[in-house]
Amino acid sequence: MSDLNVPPPSSSKPERFDPTLKARRQAALKEGFLGIRPAIIPTATWGLVTGIALVKSGLSEQAAIMMTLMVYAGSAQLSSLPLIAAGAPLWLIFAAGFIVNVRFLIFGAALQPYFQSLPWYKRLAYGYFTTDMSFVVFMPRFGHAAVRGTQEQRWFFLAMIVIGWLTWQLSSLLGIFLGTIVPTAWSLDYAAILALLGIAIPLANSRPMLVAIIASGCTAWVAQPLPLRLGLLVAVVVGMSAGIWAEHRLNKGRA
Amino acid sequence: MNLSEQDLYIAGAIGLLTLCSIVTRASFNVFGHRIPLSDRVRRALLYAPAAALTAIIVPSLLPWVPGSNAALIDEKLFAAIIAIVLFQRTRSTIIMIVGGMISFWVIQALFSFW
Repeated sequence: MSDLNVPPPSSSKPERFDPTLKARRQAALKEGFLGIRPAIIPTATWGLVTGIALVKSGLSEQAAIMMTLMVYAGSAQLSSLPLIAAGAPLWLIFAAGFIVNVRFLIFGAALQPYFQSLPWYKRLAYGYFTTDMSFVVFMPRFGHAAVRGTQEQRWFFLAMIVIGWLTWQLSSLLGIFLGTIVPTAWSLDYAAILALLGIAIPLANSRPMLVAIIASGCTAWVAQPLPLRLGLLVAVVVGMSAGIWAEHRLNKGRA
Repeated sequence: MNLSEQDLYIAGAIGLLTLCSIVTRASFNVFGHRIPLSDRVRRALLYAPAAALTAIIVPSLLPWVPGSNAALIDEKLFAAIIAIVLFQRTRSTIIMIVGGMISFWVIQALFSFW
């Protein structure tokens, strides 16, 4: 672990003529790079698969590039593909993207103390570029820091999100390019479903979560005749209720 | 440039998903404590992504045959089962995706021989 948990006393207020500023910044940026380094290969693999899946699921090359550069959220992008293919209404695509991304609201609540001293557009930028990986690396290291919101912490974060963005975008663009030359007969659009499975299965890490998943899955299967993929909403509501119900039941059983 | 209705639809989807990314990731940073998020809501939200992902995956793997009451069972489902088993064994999403894809091709080839 680093010694960055204990910020030097001068770091709570930025000082323009601090001679150690440059050295401290370099050290913090390097720490951030080292922190995110183990995530580079998984992120790149993921980006590659997502890029291929985007073009193989019916998006044009230009649309896939636009989506990757603007949305910058693999699970929401992959989730939207079956909905776009089915011609689901735009509000449902928005709702599905929101629900899949809702974890970022919870991450955001935990991260916001580190950025509150910044002007709003910087807070917006730090928020938009936050990824799962940067959250997972940042919180164990600075979650219990005595002072939250030091420059070192933000430089560390900055290094992570820059590396994360470059890794994701370059690998996605490579995937989009590969997707355009790979024949459609290889059915690589199926990789999109496998990638979604790869996101969903690790979530099934507790019994209430498993109940929620089974309830949602059964509902989604039965509700298929509903037009425009509206069964999705029904399944989410049933799944969430089942999860909460199972949590209550388990807690009662233990008490 | 001639934009078709389909182009506008996809542009709309991309725009709205971008908005999703901004709203979910940045609203706490921008609006700080002004967003109410009680523990109960937070706990309920825990189940939402898993439920949504499942609800998106299931109709893709087990679609109903259009115009009938029967489910269509094909190589997608079998390959997915193999992929899930692979993941449980190895905990590696890369092995799961590659293995699932290979299973898909093999089962598809077997089905076409039949």
